[in-house]
Amino acid sequence: MNQSTPFLGRFAWRTLLVLLYLFLLAPIIIVFIISFDTRQYLAFPPESYSFGSYAKVFANPTFISAFGRSLIIGLVVGLGAVAAGMLLSLSLARHEFRGKGSVNFLILAPFLVPHIVLAVGIMLVMAPIGLLDTYAGIIIAHLGITIPYTVRTIMMSLMSVDRRVEEAALVHGASPAMVFWRITLPLVSPGLIAGGVIAFLISFDEATISLFIVSVRTSTLPTEIFHYLEYSTDPQIAALSVILILISVGVVIAVERLIGLRRAL
Amino acid sequence: MVDHHVEIEQLVKTYPGAQKPSVDRVSFSLPRGEMLALLGPSGCGKTTILRMIAGLIAPTSGAIRIDGRDVSAIPVHKRNMGMVFQSYALFPHMTVARNVSFGLEMRKVGKTEIEERVKKALDLVKLTGLGERKVSQLSGGQQQRAAIARSLVIEPELLLLDEPLSNLDAKLRDEMRDEIREIQARTGVTAIFVTHDQDEALSMADRLAVMSNGRLEQIGTPREIFDRPQTDFVATFIGAGNFFSGKVREPGVAEVEGLGELRFSGEAPTGSSVKLMVRPHRLVLDGTGAAGVNRFSGTVEHIVYRGQTLTLTVRCGTQRLQADLPTHAGVLPEKGGEITLAVAPEDVTFIEKAAA
Repeated sequence: MNQSTPFLGRFAWRTLLVLLYLFLLAPIIIVFIISFDTRQYLAFPPESYSFGSYAKVFANPTFISAFGRSLIIGLVVGLGAVAAGMLLSLSLARHEFRGKGSVNFLILAPFLVPHIVLAVGIMLVMAPIGLLDTYAGIIIAHLGITIPYTVRTIMMSLMSVDRRVEEAALVHGASPAMVFWRITLPLVSPGLIAGGVIAFLISFDEATISLFIVSVRTSTLPTEIFHYLEYSTDPQIAALSVILILISVGVVIAVERLIGLRRAL
Repeated sequence: MVDHHVEIEQLVKTYPGAQKPSVDRVSFSLPRGEMLALLGPSGCGKTTILRMIAGLIAPTSGAIRIDGRDVSAIPVHKRNMGMVFQSYALFPHMTVARNVSFGLEMRKVGKTEIEERVKKALDLVKLTGLGERKVSQLSGGQQQRAAIARSLVIEPELLLLDEPLSNLDAKLRDEMRDEIREIQARTGVTAIFVTHDQDEALSMADRLAVMSNGRLEQIGTPREIFDRPQTDFVATFIGAGNFFSGKVREPGVAEVEGLGELRFSGEAPTGSSVKLMVRPHRLVLDGTGAAGVNRFSGTVEHIVYRGQTLTLTVRCGTQRLQADLPTHAGVLPEKGGEITLAVAPEDVTFIEKAAA
């Protein structure tokens, strides 16, 4: 009796955990299964299975070119957010200046405002200066919502860097620029990579803001998916979703292998 | 030819918004090859001085001269200093060898020469063959050695050490103490180290600069500091002591209330008030048993056995004396017993700058 009670408790606990994970993963699992359906509408469970939807996705020029644009936008946003995040983090972590509190708040602000509100605001600002439906416009908009993340991850890395280590480099002959290049930058690289990956992933699947500022020329993959869903619902969307999920998982695994994401975050 | 390698003159540092200076008009100088200890309690300004010499902080006023040239305006990375930090501050993302070669790479030294000098530096600090290790794979003592090698490999003008032993355990500390001394002697580098530990300062340094509240209290050899402290602070900070206030009756003799006449060394004007100090281990058992000049009879109030010595608290008149007697000194006193203690006049120190 004494033995079985903790066993039962552990069993119940594990079952609960498994059920919780199943609940969380259920949408992904269902999308995954539907993506192999042969019918031309979305329903569960599928009647028969094939890779037909995947073939159609890869043959769809709209999706492929939108994917290319999303990739380019994501990469530029990732790099840009890391560069801006690095500069902002350095000034916030290392310097005292007037208005530091306000800058800190402004960096946090995009977290607090719903994306739909941001989207309307960004559209109203960009329309008169001709940034709607341009790469510059979408990249600026995405930088606005991703920089808060890179600032956060880089700040965390920067806080853990021992100032004495930088001082030691300085004393032993490194110019301030050299100290940054040889000491500070390598030591915060986990934060840079984590921030860059997060920024890329956010930009890559951001739909709300993008819908308001892009149309034909710079449409991204999420906006194309949205438009596609307005007129048709077939397993192509499920197949495309699976591909996007695999890309995200792939990126995360690559980072985990490379530097250890847990360490980076 | 300038006879001082390093000269600090009227150095002042007042941090913005601070009421009083952290370092207040400090001057001292070192000949080439000397090892100087900056000793004082935490917050006395010793580390601030070290950081000003390194160039990590700018002095408010005053001069730092090396070979007669004021270096105050030279930026930190061009001063050619070596510095060992309290936490060692090794570069965590580099191997030991890369840590050591860092300063040479910054100086654009050739690759083969770097290899040679790194090897020599690692040999010097007994880290031969550990160059490819990661910093995190080194023990505390080894990290300390690596930090020293990193500083010495650049053949610095001056080696600065900030509390070099405070992060080591007791046994390793004794070992590193001798080792640092030996490395310094062998390389002949002029060195300044900061410490709050008097044993460390007394045993490692050629000279000590004792600091308190931003001021330099006294500078001198370990013996001078220990045996002839010039200020109250130095006398109480370094070692234990019996302190007496007295009035000078005739040259070299003072009347101490409740104790009697005390013959002392040093010159004080007749009639003036003086402060005198006797180190506990300078008091000896006096066999004659009679009280007199520099001989005090009293009752043993308290005994602490410390192995090599016996620490006694003896009540003599209205004064309490503390005496450290060697435990091999024949018949040892007992608690409650009557004994006579004596001290030689040269062991009674007149504290010159004390407020008597």
